[in-house]
Amino acid sequence: MDTSNPAVFVNGELLHMHVGRRVRAVIQVIQSDNVGVTGKSTDGLQVVVKGILPSFALTNFVEVIGISDGDRSIRAEMWNNFGNTFDTDNYNQLCKLANGEFKHLFI
Amino acid sequence: MPVNLTPNAIAAINGGDVNSKPLVQVMDIKLIGSTQERYRFLISDSVSTQHAMLATQLNDRVKSGRVKKGSVVQLIDYICSTVQNRKIIVVLNMETIILDCEPIGNPKMFTESESTTQKATPNSNIEHPVRVNNYNTPIRGSFNPQNPGTFNTQNPGSFSNQNPGSFTTSNSGTFRASNPSTFWAPNSGNNVQGFRPTVQPPYQPPPNYRNHGPILKNEAPARIIPIAALNPYQGRWAIKARVTAKGDLRRYNNARGDGKVFSFDLLDSDGGEIRVTCFNAVVDRFYDIIEVGRVYLISKGSLKPAQKNFNHLKNEWEIFLEATSTVDLCPEEDASIPRQQFSFRPISEIENAENNSILDVIGIVISVNPSVPILRKNGMETQRRILNLKDTSGKSVELTLWGDFCNKEGQKLQEMVDVGFFPVLAVKAGKVNDFNGKTIGTISSTQLFINPDFPEARDLREWFDQGGKNAATVSITREIMAGGSKNEIRKTVSQIKSEGLGRAEKPDWVTVRAFITFIKSDNFCYTACPLMIGDRQCNKKVTQAGNRWQCDRCNQEFDECDYRYLLQAQIQDQTGLTWVTAFQESGEEILGCPAKELYMLKYELQDDIRFGEIIRSRVFNQYLFRLKIKEELYGDEQRVKITVIKAEQLNYSSESRYLLDLISKSQRK
Repeated sequence: MDTSNPAVFVNGELLHMHVGRRVRAVIQVIQSDNVGVTGKSTDGLQVVVKGILPSFALTNFVEVIGISDGDRSIRAEMWNNFGNTFDTDNYNQLCKLANGEFKHLFI
Repeated sequence: MPVNLTPNAIAAINGGDVNSKPLVQVMDIKLIGSTQERYRFLISDSVSTQHAMLATQLNDRVKSGRVKKGSVVQLIDYICSTVQNRKIIVVLNMETIILDCEPIGNPKMFTESESTTQKATPNSNIEHPVRVNNYNTPIRGSFNPQNPGTFNTQNPGSFSNQNPGSFTTSNSGTFRASNPSTFWAPNSGNNVQGFRPTVQPPYQPPPNYRNHGPILKNEAPARIIPIAALNPYQGRWAIKARVTAKGDLRRYNNARGDGKVFSFDLLDSDGGEIRVTCFNAVVDRFYDIIEVGRVYLISKGSLKPAQKNFNHLKNEWEIFLEATSTVDLCPEEDASIPRQQFSFRPISEIENAENNSILDVIGIVISVNPSVPILRKNGMETQRRILNLKDTSGKSVELTLWGDFCNKEGQKLQEMVDVGFFPVLAVKAGKVNDFNGKTIGTISSTQLFINPDFPEARDLREWFDQGGKNAATVSITREIMAGGSKNEIRKTVSQIKSEGLGRAEKPDWVTVRAFITFIKSDNFCYTACPLMIGDRQCNKKVTQAGNRWQCDRCNQEFDECDYRYLLQAQIQDQTGLTWVTAFQESGEEILGCPAKELYMLKYELQDDIRFGEIIRSRVFNQYLFRLKIKEELYGDEQRVKITVIKAEQLNYSSESRYLLDLISKSQRK
């Protein structure tokens, strides 16, 4: 695991706190074309992902790791399929904890 | 300190006084009563002594030493009643004036012969309200205004005979002015000290008829007394009270035959409450008359100790109506009698309330679950609906509605919450259950009030609207974990040993999240008896006899036996490792196939490869195990036996939810 360049767990709301930094978010894919992927973050916000586009068919839920580009936007570096069912609520709670009281536990 | 007891107080009380609030001395205190603790005083006015029963609500005064032998007390509320021709003073309220005092005077036991009136106020002309009975027209009301003459003319002699010396012609005319509905001579107009006409004892002893003529019952209406003053030592009483609840008509069948019964609850203007019960024929008389919310005058009936398992009212007695009882509706509204009496407990207090206790609670309904059918133990189906209440104490609690409550109030509440309105709900007489944290459930006498109009409800509404809505609350009910058992206790493997689980008298039931690390692959099952005993399979181990199987318990033989799991396995989590045993159902949950199938594979087909694959596919899977832990004796060795009751493949989503919940709980601490 590459700890030199960690990615922070984020939901849609937390994106703007990490502008220019590496983040990871799980999104539910709404639309995918050759410009980018539009999806819904785990807190229900619309997020646009551009940058390196996936080379494979996306499942309903995908994890995207990339640079926060400001509000509701990520420049993707890496994509992981997370399957067609996913507990977004749990992930959202995790994002909050990782950016809140337990921030010190996350690299 | 010199103290003067009220002269002739005892004679006066015996004569019917309830208002002079006399000072008396307690000469003796005795604990009596078999079922109910009661104290009996011997009280003295320095000349006479008499027994006085202490109302049980005053028991504490004796127990806490606030009144003792020698104490001078002021009687505040008291009545004198006749029990089996003996007069007993019942003290309902009193104050201790001097705690310790030497005996005053040399009192003697008060007797009837010292009779009531002359001694009581010897200086007056009329010492006592004179009882008048017109012997020709004995029933109440016959002494009516349109026929006043009968009174004086027909039986003039009866007056002097009844109370010789005390009744003079000079004031005989006052009888005409008296309230004709009671047979009391007024005394207010005669400068007589003593008793205000408005305050009369509940029961006036019948006069000593020394003249001729038939003996008549005292037909005067009984006085209205507070419910709190009711006791079995009173012959005649009446109460005026509002019906706060009416039970359904129930039919029963017991050793003494069939019958029907119904009860209703009363509340009076002093806040006294009592349950009234009617049986059989009496039910028919009163069932239709009684309406919730209306005020009634009730008289005659017997008082029996309250059945505390059915009756949660704050009264040690219960009224049983009889054929002679009267229940009269008071047509005019009496606003002095409250509609309902609540003693609301904050939800935070319910956390420490005893299981099965009955209490009142008020809260905001924050969620309502749908109504679901539940099969009761007796095979009948009923409805259940769970909702959540929160209040200003920062706690919330689950309220379980049963039966009709689900459809009536439950439906109404659901509709409100569905449109985003959170109603106030007052629960009268809910039952505390500690099965799962603390919950409250409805019982048959529970009453629910949605958005009631009283101060507690308004305060709550205000609190909720001004921020209480968003205030964090902690539930005193343990939340249901999806996938987990409702009342699960989570432990780690090492805690089983370190906490000495299973050593107590009863087995410990815990839930452990762990991996299976090893499954013993020989002797994983046994040959079981497939015969049915009642509705259960015998399952006893059977032995092979030739080609057939034999069960010692059933004493039968059969061609084919059943195969059941008796699986030994190791489970492991981040803290340690332990052996467990899994029987049939949990064994199948772990291995994913029936024992017979696996037995055939290994011993008939001898397909060791396939068998090995199945075993290997199950190890290093994470499960949520429900374990029963109990120490058992094997030979002379104590061994902790851990049995798998249920094995579930771990659901990561619900487990994550559980862990998140755990994190937020640990944050709060």
